[in-house]
Amino acid sequence: MLDLMPNENPFQDPLRFERQVPECVIVIFGANGDLTKRKLLPALYRLAFDRRLAAGFAVVGISRTPMSDDQFRDKMRESVEQFSEDTKLDEEVWSAFARGLYYVAGDIGDAGLYQRLNQKLGAIETERHTGGNVLFYLSTQPSQYAEIAHGIGAAGMGKGNGWRRLVVEKPFGHDLASAKELSNRLHEVFDESDVYRIDHYLGKETVQNILAFRFGNGIFEPLWNRRYINHVQITGAESIGVEGRGAYYQEAGALDDMIQNHLLQVMATVAMEPSASFRANSVRDERSKLLRSIRPMTPDEVRQNAVPGQYGPARIGGQDVPGFRQEPGVDPNSQTNTYAAVTFFVDNWRWAGVPFYVRTGKRLAKRVSEIAIQFNSAPLHLFNQDSGDPGVNLLILRIQPEEGISLKFLSKRPGSGMTLRPVSMDFNYGSSFGERSPSAYETLLLDAIVGDPTLYTRQDMVEASWSVVEPIQNVWRETKSEFPNYPAGSWGPAAADVMLARRGHVWRKP
Amino acid sequence: MSATVAPDKILKELAALWTQEGKLGEAGVLRACSMTLLVMSDATDDAAALGETIAALMPQHPARSILIRLSGDGERALSERVYQQCWKPFGQRQQICCEQIEITASDAALADLPSVLLPLIVADLPVILWCRSPRLTQMPEFRDIAKVATRVVIDSAAGANATDTIRRIADAVRRGMVLADLAWTRLTRWRETLSRVFENRDTLARLSEIQTIKVTYGPGYEAAAWYFAAWVVNALAQAGVMATAAVASGAPTLRLELAGTSGLRVTLAREEDRLVTTVDDQSNCTHLPVASDYLIMREELAIMCRDAVFERTLASAAQLAVSSSSQPQ
Repeated sequence: MLDLMPNENPFQDPLRFERQVPECVIVIFGANGDLTKRKLLPALYRLAFDRRLAAGFAVVGISRTPMSDDQFRDKMRESVEQFSEDTKLDEEVWSAFARGLYYVAGDIGDAGLYQRLNQKLGAIETERHTGGNVLFYLSTQPSQYAEIAHGIGAAGMGKGNGWRRLVVEKPFGHDLASAKELSNRLHEVFDESDVYRIDHYLGKETVQNILAFRFGNGIFEPLWNRRYINHVQITGAESIGVEGRGAYYQEAGALDDMIQNHLLQVMATVAMEPSASFRANSVRDERSKLLRSIRPMTPDEVRQNAVPGQYGPARIGGQDVPGFRQEPGVDPNSQTNTYAAVTFFVDNWRWAGVPFYVRTGKRLAKRVSEIAIQFNSAPLHLFNQDSGDPGVNLLILRIQPEEGISLKFLSKRPGSGMTLRPVSMDFNYGSSFGERSPSAYETLLLDAIVGDPTLYTRQDMVEASWSVVEPIQNVWRETKSEFPNYPAGSWGPAAADVMLARRGHVWRKP
Repeated sequence: MSATVAPDKILKELAALWTQEGKLGEAGVLRACSMTLLVMSDATDDAAALGETIAALMPQHPARSILIRLSGDGERALSERVYQQCWKPFGQRQQICCEQIEITASDAALADLPSVLLPLIVADLPVILWCRSPRLTQMPEFRDIAKVATRVVIDSAAGANATDTIRRIADAVRRGMVLADLAWTRLTRWRETLSRVFENRDTLARLSEIQTIKVTYGPGYEAAAWYFAAWVVNALAQAGVMATAAVASGAPTLRLELAGTSGLRVTLAREEDRLVTTVDDQSNCTHLPVASDYLIMREELAIMCRDAVFERTLASAAQLAVSSSSQPQ
């Protein structure tokens, strides 16, 4: 017999079992908000449906609206029924899941709320054997993050019998100084290792697949450098407008809303050095190093290498579509960028001189997120090409929709003569693996519960991103742009095409 | 029925099928293949049900599937037909297709099969042999057929004598064959549930109290019972806990009971379509659907490497079965 308690469960079988998930309580601040209803609860329910959560799992919802536990359960059931895209509500699974849903009403500025929450957590720990593990999820206005963290700390909930972690949604500050200030305030209660800054882009299967593609195969990495890659285009395009979020969006803009976080993280994943291991901090160290290697721009360079845009009204598919300034809640003279295209350079040996063109925008021609890696052309053109195509080799990593990978290359056209034409070799992620891919929130919530921060953003990464974006912000704030400068439904302003043309490149039209 | 089949002719017919499919529709056809799946079944096997299982597996594990039907006694005869199985993912225009080949072989022609199969195997991809016929695994030709596969999947629950089958497959694994047993696959949900019980720190702290492991089984579950007992013994031993195991018939399907000092008692038992877990007085139940061929094969086809936990369990189960049968009843 053992004298000591075993540290590890000897019944594990990682080859066949899903990751073991510890019992815990997720406390959601902003439980009556859109994110909770549309994303968090459907993701948690799906995890329960797939038996990925421990039996004692519980959720405590917090918001100002007075509600009983049962009323909260009913409300969440409606959300799951309405927003679970591919999961039907199973009565038995729901009833077991709903037993673990609780609610505490209160104002986040009221110290009494945190006392009541602390009591509730104590009762749940006893009743559901959660081992004192608590994940605090802040799904509120970013301006409330510091106040909530303070409230948690003041009530003594920052530490407990088990682990305590904090998940925060973007934006992490609105510039470098505010990002640092926010981190400092969170660190008064939580260690950096317990702060999980969520970037749902990194939770997408296909973004994770970039790591598998680059570092799981031997054939691509030798080509993954300035000698073979001509340039990289990263696109995060949306076909919709601001959809009622005009007031919020007016404060953020495309540069802050997409490039500072999602697209720079994607760029870091594409361009980072191989990490020594797949441990969370090894991968994040490499991402962070890459972000710190992006060359910050001088004001003159910003004017050459960054293009802001704002969509104007247009007629799409027979329907009149308003411009950004005509959207509800938007200032008719707004200078907010709904489009941003930036040329980044990475100052390291691998990427020196290779332009990374990053663009994002609302009301573009189609919804698509992808990375296009254009390789150098063959040094001599021996053959005729029948399409006028310059004959480039292009590797496209499609993030959404139709996730997959395509490689474009030249092939001989059947028949006599030696005429080449471009062909595409496609790998379709969804078709090749018919299994359902978990949503980004399922992946990220599970990672936070098991304590794997690989796909979460660390303080130094956030600060490195702001260091890159802030010079652009500063120039754009000081310059009055001639907005609108692109019609809704197009691929963005002409100035963005000129920016690429200067280096002899053209934007892909995905 | 022709007496022979020509692999070259089969490959030509497959190529013609692709050309024909490519001419139909504008969106074209995507050929998907991640392995060669050889399926061997007896003439008595339900052909329609097996066809449905293979079709259901294809979206998750696209493969060139080669279904070999054993026609039993009779003249030395082989025959074949080729076809495709296609599906259109929701919202997409492009069809995805997998190749299927069906070969019928009499027992007398089994020796000819390896030479037919070798050219039909997709190069550079894994070859999985799913042998559904307990009769075939005991035939001398089986070893040569199994040699073409990177992994062989059998089902010891289908055989008449579970302990004898476990001993034979343990021998085969010792000789180097990479083997999977669906009786073991059916245990995954049970094992995972037991593992979750010990994810709780309080229960894990009581692990050393366990003294006895009792597995009772019903018809068709004997092999699973030996595996379950052996796996628990091994896991406990790994944690330094020595417990005694007993395997006996007497349950409708399968039942596990761990008992120890201080009254610790953990049980797992199937009740209709639920798995009921009891730790001391607290019980919890989860949905446990009957493990269909589709579900267990989907799990097995996702594993391409040696399953070290299974191989350790198999060796222990064979020993446990031998020592139990040699003890006086």
